[in-house]
Amino acid sequence: MSTGTTSPYAVTPLRVLRAEWFKLHSLRSSRVTAATAVFAVVAVALVMGGTYTSGGGDADIDPVVLVLQGTLLSQICLAVLGILVTAGEYATGAVRATLTAVPARLPVLWAKAAVFAATAFTLSFATALAAYPAAQLLLADTDMAGSLGDDGVVAAIAGNSAGVTLVALVALGLGALLRSVPGALGAFIGCVVILPEILGALPYEVVETVLRYFPTQAAGALGSSTPLPGAASPGGALLALLLWAGGTLALAGVLLKRRDV
Amino acid sequence: MIRAHALTKTYGTRTVVQDLTFTVRPGTVTGFLGPNGAGKSTTLRMLLGLDAPTRGHATVDGRPYASHPAPLTRVGALLEARAVHPGRTARGHLRSLALTHGLPRRRVAEVLEVTGLTGVADRRVKGFSLGMGQRLGIASALLGDPAALVLDEPVNGLDPEGVLWIRTLLRSLAAEGRTVLVSSHLMSEMALTADRLIVIGRGRLLADTTVDDLVRRSGGRTVRVVTPRSADLRRAVLSAHPHAEVTADGPDALEVRGVDAADIGRAAAGEAVPLYELTPRDPSLEQAFMDLTRDTVEYQGAAA
Repeated sequence: MSTGTTSPYAVTPLRVLRAEWFKLHSLRSSRVTAATAVFAVVAVALVMGGTYTSGGGDADIDPVVLVLQGTLLSQICLAVLGILVTAGEYATGAVRATLTAVPARLPVLWAKAAVFAATAFTLSFATALAAYPAAQLLLADTDMAGSLGDDGVVAAIAGNSAGVTLVALVALGLGALLRSVPGALGAFIGCVVILPEILGALPYEVVETVLRYFPTQAAGALGSSTPLPGAASPGGALLALLLWAGGTLALAGVLLKRRDV
Repeated sequence: MIRAHALTKTYGTRTVVQDLTFTVRPGTVTGFLGPNGAGKSTTLRMLLGLDAPTRGHATVDGRPYASHPAPLTRVGALLEARAVHPGRTARGHLRSLALTHGLPRRRVAEVLEVTGLTGVADRRVKGFSLGMGQRLGIASALLGDPAALVLDEPVNGLDPEGVLWIRTLLRSLAAEGRTVLVSSHLMSEMALTADRLIVIGRGRLLADTTVDDLVRRSGGRTVRVVTPRSADLRRAVLSAHPHAEVTADGPDALEVRGVDAADIGRAAAGEAVPLYELTPRDPSLEQAFMDLTRDTVEYQGAAA
């Protein structure tokens, strides 16, 4: 029996981080969701590369944006994964075990967010870095021909991955706030994906300006190697996304500390 | 040592736990008894910091549970229902908890062994029976080799072998000097496992006592006697033992209190009263419990 005098065992932020990393990668559902995200990006990149014809309707599009259309799909996969990381624990009751082990609570949320963000970014960045040159093999003779070495391409790929990651972090935060997988999915699709589309249809210029800084729009601005017309600057977009993700997580943290489990 | 000081929990206007104060001491099994809906689970969640009390506070070894640097080594908890992701293996679940405290892999293997789960350790929890799920809950509780255990209805859903296993385990944990608090709505189960009893009803403390004391309070042993000449037997017993209490227990049956079976047999033989049955009966703890909690049962069946 431990007397608690000089026990080597104690909860530390690094240990909570390790525990959350273990929890994320030891679940089959996480691995399947992540693999689906990778597959979507690669498959869409190859389809885009194989079917593009010079001078068509897509001629004015940025090559990175064209090749990485699949991130629209991987975005959904990673958002679902983010929601499962937080709300999934409430659905299964596992959160009681988690918070009994770490009753300070907040380290769990930060660890989940950090582990998830690192995983989502690494995965997205590595996938895009492979998918772009692969698609370029098929685009060699078109006006979209290019390489990773071109101006702004790696930055746009990194921006695309950061955008996808931060939007998925908003989903993770919504999962922690709403503590329900269907609830958080609904909120994500309704507020993050669809609401900006509806607002965009309004005939007010001020709405259009504000909309540039909404999560999905800001993420789009980050992932282009050439300036997009009517979009926020990359710096502004990144700042907006950091605020969205940080704000959602901060609110989730306040409620996590206050509410009964 | 676990202490509750004036713990109170209200949800809106509904008071679930009211002004509950008790101490759970090391080295004994303390039963936490109450009818369903009495506030047992809420109280246990407050002890573990999962629910915040509306008033009052709870401490483990003098401090709130959440303020211990290694809480799993202080209190091991089995909470109601399942607290495991079904997609994780038993070993994976325990490992995820062990990692937060830096507990070694060896410890995970040990508790799997103690709870008899080694053979299914790498299977996903999804396919576990209720009994296996309970064993995994116990394994999680034992993981930190804690000085105290808090178990919410641990025998729920277990087969007789599992019930016996839990009973033996709890007694041996207490014998090692640990503090063991175990909730139940079954008095009969607690009578076999617990030394001390904390009885609550509608969130209030009804009794903080020992099993022995409750036996005494519920009136001691009685003897049931069946005879075709009950009036003669009553006279015979009362003339030999004037302090005895004899009550009718059916048409040809008597219940005698304060005299043992041998003396009743002798009194009957002296008057040549034939006896068909002579049965010593333990006081019904179940009855004592129901007497204590009668007014506090949330949903009561109407008397037939």
